[in-house]
Amino acid sequence: MFFQQLINGITLGSTYALIALGYTMVYGVLKLINFAHGEIYMFGAFVGMIMVTTFRLSIIPAFIISMLLSSLLGMGIEMIAYRPLRKSTRITALISAIGVSIFLQNLGILIMGPATRPFPRSIRSYYVNLGAIKIDILQIIILIVSIILMVALHLLVKNTKVGKAMRATALDKDAAYLMGINVNRIITITFAIGSALGAAAGVLIGLYFNSVSPLMGSMPGLKGFVAAVLGGIGNIPGAMLGGVILGVIETLGAAYISSAYRDAIAFAVLIIILLVKPSGIMGVNVREKV
Amino acid sequence: MKGKKLGGIFLIAVLLIGLISGCSSQPSENGSTGDTIKIGFLGAKTGNVATYGINTLKGMKLAAEEINNAGGVLGKKIEIIEADNRGDRTEIANIMQKFITKDKVVAVIGDPTTGGTKVAAPIAQSNQVVLLSAGAAGEGVVEIGDYIFRNTLLDSVAAPITAKYVIEELKWDKAALVTSLNNDFSVGLSKIFAKAIKELGGEIVIEESIQDGDTDFSAQVTKIKEANPEVIIFTGYYTEAALFLQEARRQGLEAKMVAGDGCLSPDLIKLGGDAVEGSFVYCGFSPDQPTAETQKFIEAVKGKYNEEPDMFVAQGYDAVKILAAAMEKANSIDPKVFRDALAQTKNFPGVSGVTTFRENREPIKSPVYLLTVKDGKFTLQAKLPVKLEQ
Repeated sequence: MFFQQLINGITLGSTYALIALGYTMVYGVLKLINFAHGEIYMFGAFVGMIMVTTFRLSIIPAFIISMLLSSLLGMGIEMIAYRPLRKSTRITALISAIGVSIFLQNLGILIMGPATRPFPRSIRSYYVNLGAIKIDILQIIILIVSIILMVALHLLVKNTKVGKAMRATALDKDAAYLMGINVNRIITITFAIGSALGAAAGVLIGLYFNSVSPLMGSMPGLKGFVAAVLGGIGNIPGAMLGGVILGVIETLGAAYISSAYRDAIAFAVLIIILLVKPSGIMGVNVREKV
Repeated sequence: MKGKKLGGIFLIAVLLIGLISGCSSQPSENGSTGDTIKIGFLGAKTGNVATYGINTLKGMKLAAEEINNAGGVLGKKIEIIEADNRGDRTEIANIMQKFITKDKVVAVIGDPTTGGTKVAAPIAQSNQVVLLSAGAAGEGVVEIGDYIFRNTLLDSVAAPITAKYVIEELKWDKAALVTSLNNDFSVGLSKIFAKAIKELGGEIVIEESIQDGDTDFSAQVTKIKEANPEVIIFTGYYTEAALFLQEARRQGLEAKMVAGDGCLSPDLIKLGGDAVEGSFVYCGFSPDQPTAETQKFIEAVKGKYNEEPDMFVAQGYDAVKILAAAMEKANSIDPKVFRDALAQTKNFPGVSGVTTFRENREPIKSPVYLLTVKDGKFTLQAKLPVKLEQ
C-alpha cells in the first residue's frame, strides 16, 4: 500500500510540477506571478480536447497544436495586459494578472459551458502490474514528459543565446537593454514558452483525469504556484522538485493521517518549509531592496 | 504610448462589459402590473451544480406555461423570474434580496441544493416570502421557519430504504462510505447511510472523505481497496463520483457504487463511461414505467425540450403546480395567506410521485425510485414504496 500511495503521490506531484514550470519561468524573468497561468493550462486542455474530438486528430498533433495556440494566447496576454504596465509597480501587474485569470475563466464558461467534459482517452489503456500495484501508462508518460520538459528548459536557459538573454533580462532589464538585448522580444519568448508548458500540462492532466472544465485551472494553478514557491520560485529544477514533494506530502497525508485534512497538511508543510527556508528548497537567497 | 493607453482602456472596457453581462442575466420588469404572479427561480445555470438548476427551471417553465394557457391562477398569469446564482453562496443571498425587494416575488422555488437553500431560507423567512425548494434533500432546512417548504425526496426517507435494498436484496453488507466534506448534502447523507447500515446489520469497513472540486482521488481509492468492501456508498455529487470511480477502476477496485440523487445526472455517465456501469442511484423520479399522468408530462417535456425529463425537471414542474394549487385553495396570492394552504397539502398527485407535507412541513414522497446504470443509461431497477408513518 505504501508504494501504491507513493506512486499516486509522484503522479499527482508531476502534474503540479508541469504547471509549476510555467509559473517559475515567467517569474524568473519578469518577477511577475502570472496568475493567468492556470487559465492557460485550462485553455490548453480545451484545445487538446477539441482537436481530439472535433478534428479527430491523434493525441500527438493535438498536443503540439495545443502548445502552439496556447503560446499565442500567452503572448497576447502579455502584450495586452502586462506590457503596458511594465513601468508601474509590481502589484499593478499582479492585479492585472488576477483580472486576466477571472476574465478567461468566465470567457471559458460562456463559450464552452460550465459543465465538466470528458477528455476521450486517446492513448491505449495499458497497465504495468508490479505485484499488487497497478501503474497506468499515462502516469509514467506524465512523469517522463515533465522530466523531459524540465531538462529541455534548463538547457535552453543555461546553454543558448536566448537563454543567456533571458538570464540577463532577469538580472537587470535596463542593463540588458543597454547591452543591445531586445527585452520585449525576450519577454514575449518567455511567455510563449511558459504558456506552451502550461498547455502541455493541461492536455496531459485533462487526459489523465479524463475531465476538462473552465474552472479546472484555479485549484491546480494555485497548487502549481505553491509547488514553484516550495522549490524556490524562479528555479527550474526547484519547480519540479517542489511539485513532486507537494504531491507526495498531500497523498501520504491523506493516506496516513486523514483525507479530510489533505490540503491542510500540504499547506502546513509549505508554511513550515518557508519558515525554515524562505527562498524555497532550491532557491538562492538574494537580498532585495524594497 | 497613446496606442498602448487606448489598448488598456479598451481592455478595461471589455472586462467591464464582461462583468456586467455576467451579472445581470435577465432584464427585470419594474413596477409589477398586478396581473402577474411572480415566482423566483433560485438555482445555478452555470458552475458545477448547473444541471440541477437548468433542469429545475425547465420544469418550472413548462408548468407555468400549462397553467397560463389554461387561464392562470385566480385569473393572473404566472411569471418566472430567473437569475443565475452559479452555486455561489454570496450570490444566492444577493439574488434573494433582489427577488424580494426589487421583483417583489410571492414565492421562490429553489435552490436545488441543500447548502444553497439554507442560505436563502432565513432571508425568505424574515421577509415572509414562501420558499419551496425542489431539490434540497439534506437536514435542517424546513426547521429554519414556517415559510420554508420543500417537495423533494428526503434523504432521511430514501437512504434507509436504499440501504435496506442493498443489504437484503443485493446482499452487499461490507460498505465503504465516501463523503464530500465541503458539501452539506453529502455530510448529512453519510450520517443517514451510516446509521441505516449499522441498524440493518451491515458494516462500514472504511470511511473516506473527499472535497467537491477535487480531481485526484488516488490516495483514498488505494485505502479503500485495502479494506476490500463489497459496495462503495458515495454521498457526493456526480462530477466527483465519475472521477472517483474512474480512479477506482484504474487501481483495480471493482466494487459498484450506491449513491444519492446528487449523482443523478447524465454527466455521471458522460464523464464516468464504463467506470460507472452498474452504479445505483436513488431518486424521486424515473421516466420508466410511468403512470398516465407522468406519461403526459414526459411527452410535454419531449415536445418542448426534445429530451427526457429527469427528477429535477419533474420536481420543478411539481413545485409550480403545488404552489398554484395552494393559491387557488387559499384564494389569495399573498404569501402570508396561501402559506397555510400550502402547509396542508395532502396526497398531491405530482408527476414525481405523491406528495404530502407533514405537520413539520417535511414532505413524504412515494415511491423511491432506485435506478441503475445499464449500457450507459439510467434504467429503473426497483420502485420502493414509502409508508406514510415513516
